[in-house]
Amino acid sequence: MLDAFFQGFVLVLHWQTFLIMLLGVFLGFWVGLLPGLGGSTTLALMLPFIYKMTPVEAFAFLLGMHSVVSTTGDITSVLFGVPGEGTSAATILDGHAMAKKGEAGRALGAALMSSLVGALVGAFALALAIPVVRPLVLTFGAPELFMLAVVGIAFISSLSGQGGRAMLRGFLAGLLGLLFAMVGQDPQAGVQRFTFSQLYLWGGLDLVPVLVGLFAIPELVDLAVRGTSIAGELPAGNLGRGAWEGVKDTFRHFWLTIRCSLVGTFIGILPGLGGGVAQWIAYGHSVQAARDSTEREGFGKGDVRGVLGPGAANNSKEGGALIPTIAFGVPGSSAMAILLGAFYLQGIMPGPEMLDKYLTLTFSMVWTMVIANVITVAASLFLLNQLAKLTTVRGSLLIPLVLFLAFIGAYTSNNSLGDLIVFLCFGLLGYLMIRCGWPRSPLVLGFVLGKIAENNFYISTTRYGSAWLLRPVVMILVLVTAVVVVYPLLRLRREGGPSGDVT
Amino acid sequence: MKSTFSLRFFFSLAVAIMAGYALYASLHWPFKTALFPRVIAFPLLVLCVIEMVLSLVVAEKGREGHAVDFEMTTDVEPQIARKRTVAIFSWTIGFLALIVGVGFPIAVPLFVFLYLKVAGKERWGLTLLLTAFSWLFMEGLFDWLLHIPFAAGWLSFLWSS
Repeated sequence: MLDAFFQGFVLVLHWQTFLIMLLGVFLGFWVGLLPGLGGSTTLALMLPFIYKMTPVEAFAFLLGMHSVVSTTGDITSVLFGVPGEGTSAATILDGHAMAKKGEAGRALGAALMSSLVGALVGAFALALAIPVVRPLVLTFGAPELFMLAVVGIAFISSLSGQGGRAMLRGFLAGLLGLLFAMVGQDPQAGVQRFTFSQLYLWGGLDLVPVLVGLFAIPELVDLAVRGTSIAGELPAGNLGRGAWEGVKDTFRHFWLTIRCSLVGTFIGILPGLGGGVAQWIAYGHSVQAARDSTEREGFGKGDVRGVLGPGAANNSKEGGALIPTIAFGVPGSSAMAILLGAFYLQGIMPGPEMLDKYLTLTFSMVWTMVIANVITVAASLFLLNQLAKLTTVRGSLLIPLVLFLAFIGAYTSNNSLGDLIVFLCFGLLGYLMIRCGWPRSPLVLGFVLGKIAENNFYISTTRYGSAWLLRPVVMILVLVTAVVVVYPLLRLRREGGPSGDVT
Repeated sequence: MKSTFSLRFFFSLAVAIMAGYALYASLHWPFKTALFPRVIAFPLLVLCVIEMVLSLVVAEKGREGHAVDFEMTTDVEPQIARKRTVAIFSWTIGFLALIVGVGFPIAVPLFVFLYLKVAGKERWGLTLLLTAFSWLFMEGLFDWLLHIPFAAGWLSFLWSS
């Protein structure tokens, strides 16, 4: 096995494979930066180019591209408050807030280094887990996946504010997100729900215009209202100077970064949950890591831990998602489903053979993820000073360009004008939510998990009746949900409630 | 404080109406189709009503109700902030109208030009440079390279018919 491990490394470093991987990394770098251009779409677009490649070259190209998309997606999220990728939206909450405080360099340093740590943890998990992951995946059937969705929403809702009132709004936002996920054809009977006779809505609301609208519009409104640059009236100075501080933050909160990486890996392993979920659970975990309510209050205003958690999770989930894809041919996300197509194009059947006949290829994938991320992070850190200076460009110059990118990003998800209307509606909703103190993260998680939860709920009741509630893992998850809801209230009570002046 | 208070109330009311509509619409669906929306809409409606009542009768103490999310700036005078908010939303809606009317390829450079010149009051040189850049970026990346099918504007339909 050790032989295959090192052989995989040598294969990736072969000049031809390495150059092809670099090309993939270059493409992934830009795809991640541009809002709306998704990693999955680009993977699909690049599939025809792998016909003439060897399997090692093909996966170096595709994985090299895909594994860096979330890393550079964080850069756009931090600098402009527009999610570069659907999987990097959670980074906006604290990353962009830091950019507004003139700490863009520090936020970028933290995002990049935590991404690297996350990618390494994900790759390490992939290398270690393949032989032992089978029982874990088989333990999680539809009832467990449904309960996991419930835990996720309860977790983020209960941690998205201070006090009982904030918790109420957190749950309201989570439920609203779940309701939005119900738009479109019912997956069981094909009945139209909330489609208002619009063909566009038959397939449900697309995540990209929803996310871009929800996050980009309120940030643009704030930028326009302030009438300054993103970093405000702060002296231009050397905004990238804090980058090293951000790198150090990753190691200062090393265990948090590792824990969030493990959260990402675990969610990546579970088929169907995807990267959109991992980042928010990791964000919730970062908030939970705050010692008291005063410290927790700093989240959303530029706490570096709010950058480290999602940054690590959205990269580590790639390694996790590869595990069921390689081991059983069960893709953990839409991107992995496309990657599964690449296996077939190369004439390889995922499954036990990947641990035997193609073990070297499997390890070459692990190395590709590691090397691609190291190269991207090094290149990004090198460019960081220049990138951070973008936050000093005056708002009147940035607004039309960012708005253009946001519109086009929303449009490219379905190439439909309906996407633009959804983008605007959710932009307005995001603005109102902020004005009214409703957190946006539970809404996004509810929206992402809605269909997954409904499908698994339906399968559970059809297959097991009400007996699924008595399955051991389900019962544990019910208990976890109760703890997740009750614990923040108990902690708050112990601390004597939120403090400060009346707002 | 008062306007925020009333906005919170009306926002909760709007969500409650949405939840109420979801429950009403689910009455016309088969049980299996309606089950999950009902499971969501019912607690949503109840919690919205609680939030509405709380908005009306309970003053929020300290940082209670404070979301883990970013907050709009409070450094700008409310009247100016309101004016600028209306302006940016108008520009955004105007951009959408332009896209629908003349299509992306014309709407993008036209919007960038108009915003920079009218709202930003930028110099001619910079305005033209950024307009050209936005056009090149859109045509080069999204049209020539990625072949994204941009819908033609309604005006071009009218023109050709």
